[in-house]
Amino acid sequence: MKNGRKQTVWMIMIAAAVLAAAAYRCVWERNSGRILRFGMLAGSYWEVPTGNCYEVIDAAIQRFEAAHPGVQVEYTSGIRKEDYPEWLAEQIVMGTEPDVFMIPAGEFDTIASLGVLKKLDGLAEQDDGFQPEDYYQGAYESGKIRGIQYALPYESVPTLMFVNKTLLEREGISIPEDNWSWEEFLSVCRQVTKDTDGDGSIDQYGCYDYGWKEAANANGAVLFDEAGRTSYFGNSKVETAVRFVKELNAANEGYLVTAKEFDRGNVAFRPLAFSDYRTYKPYPWRIKKYSDFEWDCIRMPSGPDGGGRTELDTLLMGISSRSRQETLAWEFLKELCHSEETQVQLLEASQGMPVLRKAAESDALQDILGEDTPGSSNMDVTIIRQVMEEAAATPNFRLYQSAMDLADGEISRMLHGDVALDNGLLKLQREVNSLLRQ
Amino acid sequence: MSKECVITKLQQIIYGLNLAAVCFVSGIMMYSMFKIVDTMYAGQFLRMIGRRPWQPELMMAVAVICYFSLVFFSCLGQTCDQREREIRNVILFLEVLFCIGSSVAMNMNYNGLVLLVVADMVRGQKGSRQKFVMGSAIIGLYTILDYNLMGIHFSMIPLDTFIFCFSTGIQAMIRGTVSIFRSLNLVLFILYLTMLIQGEYQERERIQNLNEQLEEANRKLKLYAEEAERNAETRERNRLAREIHDTLGHALTGIVAGVDACLMTIDISTEATKKQLEKIGDVARQGITDVRRSVRKLRPDALEKLELEDAITGMLENLAATSGVKVMFQNQVKPFQFHEDEEEVIYRVIQEATTNAVRHGHADKIWITITKENAWLTITVKDNGVGCGEMKEGFGLKHMKERLSLLNGTLEYNGEDGFLIVAGIPIRWGEEKG
Repeated sequence: MKNGRKQTVWMIMIAAAVLAAAAYRCVWERNSGRILRFGMLAGSYWEVPTGNCYEVIDAAIQRFEAAHPGVQVEYTSGIRKEDYPEWLAEQIVMGTEPDVFMIPAGEFDTIASLGVLKKLDGLAEQDDGFQPEDYYQGAYESGKIRGIQYALPYESVPTLMFVNKTLLEREGISIPEDNWSWEEFLSVCRQVTKDTDGDGSIDQYGCYDYGWKEAANANGAVLFDEAGRTSYFGNSKVETAVRFVKELNAANEGYLVTAKEFDRGNVAFRPLAFSDYRTYKPYPWRIKKYSDFEWDCIRMPSGPDGGGRTELDTLLMGISSRSRQETLAWEFLKELCHSEETQVQLLEASQGMPVLRKAAESDALQDILGEDTPGSSNMDVTIIRQVMEEAAATPNFRLYQSAMDLADGEISRMLHGDVALDNGLLKLQREVNSLLRQ
Repeated sequence: MSKECVITKLQQIIYGLNLAAVCFVSGIMMYSMFKIVDTMYAGQFLRMIGRRPWQPELMMAVAVICYFSLVFFSCLGQTCDQREREIRNVILFLEVLFCIGSSVAMNMNYNGLVLLVVADMVRGQKGSRQKFVMGSAIIGLYTILDYNLMGIHFSMIPLDTFIFCFSTGIQAMIRGTVSIFRSLNLVLFILYLTMLIQGEYQERERIQNLNEQLEEANRKLKLYAEEAERNAETRERNRLAREIHDTLGHALTGIVAGVDACLMTIDISTEATKKQLEKIGDVARQGITDVRRSVRKLRPDALEKLELEDAITGMLENLAATSGVKVMFQNQVKPFQFHEDEEEVIYRVIQEATTNAVRHGHADKIWITITKENAWLTITVKDNGVGCGEMKEGFGLKHMKERLSLLNGTLEYNGEDGFLIVAGIPIRWGEEKG
């Protein structure tokens, strides 16, 4: 009897402790539930000079807070792009990572496999106002790892082909059409490569910085499978691309073209990120760079097996899997990545392309691009839209950079003729595969 | 200091040592995480561990709280009644749970808590079961909580990864300290178990000793009881002898003397002889009265003082009270009054039959019915005991038969399903008294 009473007392005490813990958690949650934390980097993600990098975010926060009374969004400002990965890692180690945050470049797979990111498939499915088709496919796919959506795209940057209009005019060559091919590209390059001042050395070149990677993409080659476990360097599309680059290099007659030559206006073509185009085309930056000549951007030339596809560099944002405010965080993520208003504003205040079709198809794009390049531009908004449609997501698996570095080294040896092309690519494929299976 | 006291002290030391170890390991882990963040190694740390670590404060809090809960339930398990198996098992289960909780919070970098739980498991068990439980508990828990076995599988973070940001000297010191905690804990655990098992062994010896003493006392008591019975028998014989001597002897002596006198006087005076014979008759009658009185003294007390039915009821109540058997007594004969000898036989038959049912049949229910048909009174005694396959006429049944045959009665019995006795007595109704 006495024993029984003792047990009852214990049971009551344990129950009380559990209840107290639950109550504490409830109160704590209510108090902290009013604040949503956001992690972002300062400056431009695209490494171009930028004005107020907080403008778009601040506006989005304002709209979000107005729509959700009592909720406050906080962020730490002034974290530079190079410090951002360490800052985020520190937050993760201390267990204080923000509810919604930008994903540092190249760390997406690492962060996702740490289990830090919430899987978004369920949230996206439940949300009637959200359709994956609202996004450009390449941009949306960037947020996927091994088939699971961990992040939403915020803004993307495709690659365009920079054209030195002054140089082409001088040579009497018209600016290529938008659906131009490698043959045209190569023939223009060969035409412009010459010695203009007669000192015996070539001082005008066809192109700069067009490498096997751009060529492989333009030829529609897929280098890796989705999971990042197998590579396809032995594919004939890759071989064609590498052969083309070899020919292109040969057109320069052995001279190694440098960025300096390009800046001086002695190079006809160069692949250029859309963010650079957006930055250096309008005033004030246009007088800082490429000011001695007229220039513009067109689509990349397409290879024989592909349609001039480019890779899309995308800034992603995700939700912390530890976030206690899943719904609010999702709403906020949508405000940033899925709201037309935010995405249109990106066009004005940032240098990337909106990832939402609706925002890119709005008249705002034409207006803004027109404003940027008063008078001289022939940049057609349909081109950039088409490029976005066709662009592929840059692979984001963890070993992508290592694999690409390895491939870079091997292929440059092939380009220099040290290694036979066909055998070399197959060997490279084996090497990359063994690296990926580590 | 007694052994009990030493064991308690030892246990307190083990609790204290483990608390220090838990605090040290989880504290080092927490501190290294702060240091990793301070020295900007967070990115590298995350790449090394490949998973999101717990919040540093949470890690330490869970480890320490789980440890305290483990100690709490360990103490509770010792204070609670050892016979309450289920409660003990629940407590042990909770202990295992908290042990796992604390160890996992420490990323399995300290598994000494296993020994604490194993000690508690062993304490509750005895004999070969003890060995089995101890063996399986140690193997099972060690397997679960050993970093090298399962830690990698559960992506636990080894201590070395936590302390990579310290200088090599400090790293070695930390590793050394943890290792000292582990060894010390193991040594204390072995010491504790040895003392516990030794204590149990001594306890067993003590109980065996007590058992022997008890047996000896029992034997003495039996002897004493036998002696007492013999004494009572002797006393009873002496009393009987005295009674016979006093009553029958006295009367017979008187009668013999009187008859002798009559032989002398019969030829001289018939008148005097007649008188003398009358006197002798008086003495003989007085003798009969005395004998009757003596015999009455030998009758059961209950019958002497009470009516038959009350005496039987009283006797059965006594039996029920002393042996715990349930007795259903049903008497359909009214009035229930007979001659003395008949009453005694009825009383004795019921007494003997119920005693047999309890003693030999181990029954816990007895049904007794008394019915009357013409001049025959039938007593049925039935029990639900083990009965008896093959009947052997023991002393009790023989005695009963003898008593009944004095009254021309009959006795039948059956031992197949419980035990059944049916006794028939021809009652001398005509001579009923009252």
